[in-house]
Amino acid sequence: MSFLAPLFLLGALAVAAPIVFHLVRRTTRERVRFSSLMFLRPEPPRLTQRNRIEHWLLLALRCAVLGLLAAGFARPFLRQDLPAITAPGQARQMVLLLDTSASMRRDGVWNEALARAEAVLRRLGPADAAAVFTFDRTLTSQISREEWVATPVGDRLGLALARLREIQPGWQPTHLDQALTQAADLLNETAAASTDAKRQIVVISDFQAGSQLGSLQQFDWPKGVEVSVESVRASTAGNAFAQLLADVPGSSATRESAVRVRVSNEPDSTRDQFQIGWAGPDGAPRGAALDVYVPPGQSRVVSLPAPPPGATADRVLLRGDEQAFDNTVFALPPEPVRLEVVYAGSDVESDRRGPLFFLRRAFQDTPLVSVRVVSVDRASGPAPHLVVVTGPMDDSVLPLLRNALAQGRVVLFAPVSASAFATLGKLVAGAALGAVEERPAHYALLGELDFRHPLFAPFADPRFSDFTKIHFWQYRRLDLTALAEARVLARFDSGDPAIAELPVGPGRLLMFAAGWHPEDSQLALSSKFVPLLYAALELGGGRPPDSPPAWVGASIRLPVEGLPAGTPLTLQPPNGVRISLPAGTVSFDGASAPGLYELAAGAERRRFAVNLDPAESRTSPLPADEFERLGVPGGQPSVEPVREAQRQARLQNAELESRQKLWRWLLAAAVGILLLETWLAGWTARRQTLNPEAAT
Amino acid sequence: MTPAAPATSRPLIAPQALMRIRHLELRARVVVEGFWSGIHRSPYHGFSVEFTEYRQYTPGDDLRYLDWRVLARSDRFFLKRFEDETNLRGHLVADQSRSMTFGSLGFTKAEYAATLAATLAYFLHLQGDAVGLLTFDDQVRDYLPARHRVSHLRRLMHALERSAAGTSTDLAAPLQRVAELVRKRGLVLLISDFLAPLDRLEAALLQLSASGHEMVVFQVLDPAEVTLDFRNAALFEDMESGRTLLVDPVTARAEYTRRLEAQTRAVRDLCQRLGHTCLRLTTDQPLELALFDFLRARMQRGRRVNRAGHHATRSPA
Repeated sequence: MSFLAPLFLLGALAVAAPIVFHLVRRTTRERVRFSSLMFLRPEPPRLTQRNRIEHWLLLALRCAVLGLLAAGFARPFLRQDLPAITAPGQARQMVLLLDTSASMRRDGVWNEALARAEAVLRRLGPADAAAVFTFDRTLTSQISREEWVATPVGDRLGLALARLREIQPGWQPTHLDQALTQAADLLNETAAASTDAKRQIVVISDFQAGSQLGSLQQFDWPKGVEVSVESVRASTAGNAFAQLLADVPGSSATRESAVRVRVSNEPDSTRDQFQIGWAGPDGAPRGAALDVYVPPGQSRVVSLPAPPPGATADRVLLRGDEQAFDNTVFALPPEPVRLEVVYAGSDVESDRRGPLFFLRRAFQDTPLVSVRVVSVDRASGPAPHLVVVTGPMDDSVLPLLRNALAQGRVVLFAPVSASAFATLGKLVAGAALGAVEERPAHYALLGELDFRHPLFAPFADPRFSDFTKIHFWQYRRLDLTALAEARVLARFDSGDPAIAELPVGPGRLLMFAAGWHPEDSQLALSSKFVPLLYAALELGGGRPPDSPPAWVGASIRLPVEGLPAGTPLTLQPPNGVRISLPAGTVSFDGASAPGLYELAAGAERRRFAVNLDPAESRTSPLPADEFERLGVPGGQPSVEPVREAQRQARLQNAELESRQKLWRWLLAAAVGILLLETWLAGWTARRQTLNPEAAT
Repeated sequence: MTPAAPATSRPLIAPQALMRIRHLELRARVVVEGFWSGIHRSPYHGFSVEFTEYRQYTPGDDLRYLDWRVLARSDRFFLKRFEDETNLRGHLVADQSRSMTFGSLGFTKAEYAATLAATLAYFLHLQGDAVGLLTFDDQVRDYLPARHRVSHLRRLMHALERSAAGTSTDLAAPLQRVAELVRKRGLVLLISDFLAPLDRLEAALLQLSASGHEMVVFQVLDPAEVTLDFRNAALFEDMESGRTLLVDPVTARAEYTRRLEAQTRAVRDLCQRLGHTCLRLTTDQPLELALFDFLRARMQRGRRVNRAGHHATRSPA
């Protein structure tokens, strides 16, 4: 026997009332003031046996009435197995979505999510069909609907739980919108088979603010699919995270070789004091840590000095935050890149009128890029980033030039005299460039520039696009009629080509009609000269490695600059399992964990850092009405699983009780006893009136 | 005067009716006048404070009472004797302890006792006797010396009307006090319920007897006290001490009456042993009967004393 409203049983305590009244009547008698007690002795009164029996019978009846009333109000019922609440015609089609994103790694979240999943699965009836998915960036099927249906009813829960217990949350971002839309589509497809089934998506997630929800807005939600939301919370609220800011090349941070770090604190956080500093691969700190004060809901940007020289630091650690999953930011301290420019010409550096003098001064060392200008015989490698040819050279230079072009480098051909075109003719097979010296009456100016070409792209802004101040005293007319692939990038005002580009294999050949030395033009003295040379260097792959932020779950641009082209690449993630990539691959989107990745091409190696998606660190919960705003049907705030189970049990109990209606019998019995008691009391009173002596 | 049974033509006044008279003096008058109307043809025959007789002077007599006129006329020494000298000095000793406030008939024992005392005082006053009053509980409260004046009687009535408040009863101390205060021999009328230990009562009575006082003891009890007339078991509370006791009267009655009778008998035996009168009154008895019993007891005593050859110059009470 169980009770639906057991608190009413407290009413049975009212049974004590008649008993207490009875006892009170016995103990507290009337007081009689008497002149003197000197002749009296204490003598407790005695009751006759007959009196007691009569009273006890009435008392028992009255107590029984009260007890029955209390039991009736408590609404008793007999526990028995209720047939399934859902009728077969109302079988459910359910898709369970379990969040495995990185934010689920917080304390206590995953265990609670598993408990919720178990509670949800336990509620399923035999006729219900379920599919279990995990989602982060992608939707992963754990148990398909077909597998669920094929599994015997008794084994379904065990199977699902066993599968779910094998899963651990990963490092991927939360693409909640994709998961929901895919699940809705899935339900919509299966709905064709059984149209009358109730379709439901149960989402178990922490519903963090960093979840992606964008595509839900455009999604046309299928009719009849309902979303039930099971929200899990971390045992401790709040989270702080650090994020490296990408530097603009040439900015002050670049020059000072410091990294800027943004430290953000979530609005529901309880802490505001943090330390940030470099750490080595072992996690031990390198150098001093910076104290950062970040109030909840705000963020601060701090400039973190480079680790001390000689220390191997590869990550930035945030300390003072309780949620540890996102407190490590992998970052490689900036390293200067060495680039090589090979100069092939007849002049020497000391010649202030020669091109080399200006070329060497155009390339200045920066902390990130170190450019070395060397002569042909001092070239260190087979493929310099840029080869500048100014004078007529013998054939020994040709292999170097060809090799550079084959490696995708740039050969800049800026002849100081028409005789130098012989070398160009040897380089470009079959191309007989009839170069003619031109000496305009006054001077020539650049009239037409192709700002869409990477060479002139830095000048595309109208502020920098004025080339009209550069005077050209003389130039060589380029005859490009034989070179069909050649593309003119700049023309003089006379219409003659000033700069032309000729692709040769993967490399490019840039042809300048005039040199930059003062004898030919004012180009070396203009402000356009240095950017132009750097643009030419970058065309050949001589780009300083800007490290765009690489995030887990996003497409990562591989640092292939400077690696030999055409070589298969090998990527080594932090877990050590090598991944082979075909030659020419420039991006990778399979990063599954944050850490330092190593890209190898032959003997060349590049390391790069992959970090957690910062959106994943925004752990404060979504607004309660977010789903409603996005038009997701039935996205109600969830209730606690224990409470939900209790609610279910209450519903079941209420159903049992309403079927059995035992309270009616109890009340009927109470009424019967009440009648009996009335009759008995009346009979006793009558008898006492008739026989007063017996009553005393 | 010869006491006789009250006239049967006139019914006695029941105490319940009498007690409806609020004024104590009026109550006493009603009793006494009704009483007189039964035993006297003319109760107002007069009495005086005048001369009664001459007596030959003997050396040592008080010269204040020498009749100088007779001496001047006849050159003989005679003393004048006045009625005052022959009068009775009555001392009412009234118990005003809280046990006297019990009453089951609509009035308390104290009210009954006060009416009795007032009746006696008024009666004695009518006879020309001086009446004094001493009230007590555990100690002496009021004392009025014996006088024979109307205003004094009023004061006496007023003192009697005070409510009883004593928390205990000490019978011996007031009697000793009377013995100290009253030098002249007289009549001591003790009115109490005697619901107190009697251990020191005998010594006090003996002292009064030795002083030549005559005593009449009135024991006033409520009928409910005599029979323990209660039906239900109850918590009995002592009026004086406040002590409570759980008592079932049905079972306790026999023992109670036995012990109460023993107390009454002890008081009566004590009085008889010392030659005093003891009268037990219950508050449902008419006061005329009490007065009658009192007078009859006095008569018997007077005869007894005369038989004993005791010189008595008292007026018959």
